[in-house]
Amino acid sequence: MSELLNTLMQDARVWQGHRHRQTTQPSEPTGYQVLDNQLGGIGWPRGALSECLLDAPGIGELHLLLPLMQRLTQAGKTVFWLNPPHTPYAPALAREGVDLGQVVMIHTEDAGDFLWTLENCLRSPVTGLVLAWPGKLATREVRRLQLAAEAGSNVCVLFRERRYAEQNSPAALRLELTPGDNRDLKVNVIKRRGSWPGQRCSLAMAHRADLAFREAPRVVQGPWQHTQR
Amino acid sequence: MLWLYLHFPHLLLDHIRRDREDSRPLVIVEGSGQRVIQACPDARDQGVRAGMRLKTAINLVPELGMVRAQPEQEARILEDQARWLYRYAAHIVLVPPDGLLAEIGSLQKLYGGLPAVWQTVEQALNEHRLTAWIAIGHTPLAARLIARAGKGECTADKGHILRALENMPLVAAEFDGKTCTRLQRLGLNTLGEVFALPAPELARRLSPETLARIQKIQGTRPDPQTPWQPPHSFRQQADFIQEIEHTQGLLFPLQRMLSELEDDLCWRQQDTDSLHLILRHRHEEDTRLRIRTSGPEHRAEAFLNLIRLRLEQQPLRAPVVALVLSVKRFLGRETPTGQDLLGESQDLNEAWHTLMSRLQARLGEQSLKRLSPQADHRPERAWSASEVQQKHKTRLAAPEHLPRRPLWLLQGPQPLTEPPAAWFAGPERISGGWWDGQRVHRDYYIAQLQSGQLAWVFRDVREGWFIHGWFG
Repeated sequence: MSELLNTLMQDARVWQGHRHRQTTQPSEPTGYQVLDNQLGGIGWPRGALSECLLDAPGIGELHLLLPLMQRLTQAGKTVFWLNPPHTPYAPALAREGVDLGQVVMIHTEDAGDFLWTLENCLRSPVTGLVLAWPGKLATREVRRLQLAAEAGSNVCVLFRERRYAEQNSPAALRLELTPGDNRDLKVNVIKRRGSWPGQRCSLAMAHRADLAFREAPRVVQGPWQHTQR
Repeated sequence: MLWLYLHFPHLLLDHIRRDREDSRPLVIVEGSGQRVIQACPDARDQGVRAGMRLKTAINLVPELGMVRAQPEQEARILEDQARWLYRYAAHIVLVPPDGLLAEIGSLQKLYGGLPAVWQTVEQALNEHRLTAWIAIGHTPLAARLIARAGKGECTADKGHILRALENMPLVAAEFDGKTCTRLQRLGLNTLGEVFALPAPELARRLSPETLARIQKIQGTRPDPQTPWQPPHSFRQQADFIQEIEHTQGLLFPLQRMLSELEDDLCWRQQDTDSLHLILRHRHEEDTRLRIRTSGPEHRAEAFLNLIRLRLEQQPLRAPVVALVLSVKRFLGRETPTGQDLLGESQDLNEAWHTLMSRLQARLGEQSLKRLSPQADHRPERAWSASEVQQKHKTRLAAPEHLPRRPLWLLQGPQPLTEPPAAWFAGPERISGGWWDGQRVHRDYYIAQLQSGQLAWVFRDVREGWFIHGWFG
């Protein structure tokens, strides 16, 4: 048995964890120092898929991408929103400093169109970032998208449901997003390329509603207590 | 002045043959469908002649393809030829049904001599795969007569031209039938013998019109020609003998038409952003397609890709008998601005247009939206989506003065089904819309739901609680 192992080792057919070296891949910083540190100083990989797995919108998932969006649109790159579940609210985006001239929202009718559109956006040099809400995707289709992403050098973030966390995926970075106690966002790295997963961190996201950390509620008491169901 | 005459012996035939991929013998049949007017070389090799009865022709060549001649179609095709000739000569006259006249005396210096002009025109004819008999004459009529006789030579020598005319039989001189017979009864057989007659006698014994015509041929009487002006639009039509059932079959003629469009646009130094494509069917209404690019474009390849995408999305309803491509909207070419040394910025701009056009062609124009804020207090009216057209910069004056709003806005308010876990800010009263009947009277709060989502909820006048957005 050990002979067999030795042969395998000598042929370098088995990857050994302690020999792991820092990989250098093109990437964009997330804009959150804590998260960047957890991701080995890399951030969002360019030319590869990233996945954000979450249960419901409204936990700060867009704010996670907002620094990147601001940077890219101001640099003249286009940001595509592909099949967003709700309307990206223009006044809020403008307030955050996103150049709306560079934001394009696309709705597709079927899965074929979706994949085609995503591939085309990813291959184009004008694209900076693609945010996509794919719904159901077969692993084969994710693989196809990963190949399309490799053809360009853009950041592509897929938003999927959290139940897909158990499925494996060819995406280069997979983040599980859950809401924290103080309006913060808990990020759990399920997979990252070139290193160990399992890092966890919490990002303060209270500013997304102008709420200071641990601030007492500024609600004027009113008649809603009676009307709550 | 020197005139160049182009006589197209079988224009309609050439027009149809160049959009065909197969090479069956082909004839053009006169309107009533009885007689052959024009026959292609393949058909002629097998014995079909112009003027033959159609039945005889079919007996000779059973697989013969035939097209019925239509006068308006011929006029249109002739104008197509004038359009490309206009690139080489400024003063063009249409001579229906099958001739074009161009003034070339003034072009000699530009092209560097008469032979160069001749060669240029011949080369253009080859490129357009047309058969034409060319001749030069010192008067329009002289050029026409020599061209129709097929005796054109590249010379500006008046004596030489006159000698060629003098040897021409009377029948070829295109007098009307009565005059021709009378002249023949006088014992005259060639044009030269008519030229030799004294002019006053000719006018007295025959008719002043005959004299005028002879003088116009000789050049002793002015023969003014009104020049043709090219229209300010582009139109090309391809007619098919066999109906085309698959989109693939349309791409071959389209390729040629689009490359002609590209040439045309290059000559005009203009771009376009919309093409009209009409597919004619035999029994059904025409299919009209409008192909739009998101920015100015002139390359045939780019148009072809868009059309291919569009046709893939939209299968043919019925077999196609003719294809019309027209462009009415022209845009001036813009000089690239802000271009760096390597031209990268321009390249990106073009890539952007290409991507948008591709997406619009496949998904439809309404699928792509660009967002912008609007000046309204009501949240559902404070934004708008517009179609993606030109790439332009939208700069807001002071975005930091906008109120705090959630990044997600729901399509419509959703009822709040559970009491929120925590309340954070509010109320913010928004009341408006009394001026257009879309009244809104709400108190907005920021609240966290049990699931951890931060929601923008409101209570409206009718005491209902709704979620209107998520702080994503």
